[in-house]
Amino acid sequence: MDIAEVLKHTSPDLFIPDLEASDKTAALAGLVEGLITGTNIQNPDTILQMLQSRENLGSTAVGPGIAFPHGRTLAVQRLTILIARCPAGVDFDSEDGDPTKLFFMLIAPPQDTGHQYIKSLAALIDCIQDADLREKLLAAGDYESFCAAMTEG
Amino acid sequence: MHPQLQLLVALQDMDEMLRETEEQGEEFEGLGFKHGGLEELKKAREELASKIDPSLASWYRRLTGKFGHAVVPVVGNLCTGCFANIPSSFVSKTNVNKVQKCESCGRLLYWP
Ligand SMILES: [Zn+2]
Repeated sequence: MDIAEVLKHTSPDLFIPDLEASDKTAALAGLVEGLITGTNIQNPDTILQMLQSRENLGSTAVGPGIAFPHGRTLAVQRLTILIARCPAGVDFDSEDGDPTKLFFMLIAPPQDTGHQYIKSLAALIDCIQDADLREKLLAAGDYESFCAAMTEG
Repeated sequence: MHPQLQLLVALQDMDEMLRETEEQGEEFEGLGFKHGGLEELKKAREELASKIDPSLASWYRRLTGKFGHAVVPVVGNLCTGCFANIPSSFVSKTNVNKVQKCESCGRLLYWP
């Protein structure tokens, strides 16, 4: 799946350029708040509970300074992706112990026959392996330039 | 939302996560994710299930066995499990003291 295809599941309203969070719990709450604000999705508690369970299963901070909180919940009807940057960094239980500065949160409905969500996750993880790109994403001035950097590599 | 329905939705989300981890865990692990907390998640699932009213819990089990998902969203006045029409009177009733069931298929109804 190419990145432009993946980015169709997000929008400027689902971009948080400067998330402030003192710890993992606060970061997750901030991400869910952004999701609720940027869409007509309801039921933040259900989404937060699902994400917390997923983190208890194993941290989703698997990239260098990057986390991919994800999961399925009845609270959404289509795959929705929120992008957030946390310039100060936050401890998200990454394996290397480094703070997390970039988040791609993928929330999918229970039924998703095309497995769009795993494919999107795979495409994003593949894309951010490039260290130069990660620098560009952290420096991008707005959503448009962030997405341009993603698609141009 | 009815507090019992809130628990049922959380339970179904958790069951989905357990199923996905068991069926597609390798795919996720290939992407770098680890699932060291699986046993704890199973325990948390049992703890959550114990908070659900026994008759609803057994209904949930029965429907999950039959259909895969016991709780389904109502979209455009339709049960998304069987596509039966859900009378609009149900919507106002959801705010009172009952978890609503589809009259046609019996699935538990959730208004997203
Ligand atoms: Zn039905």
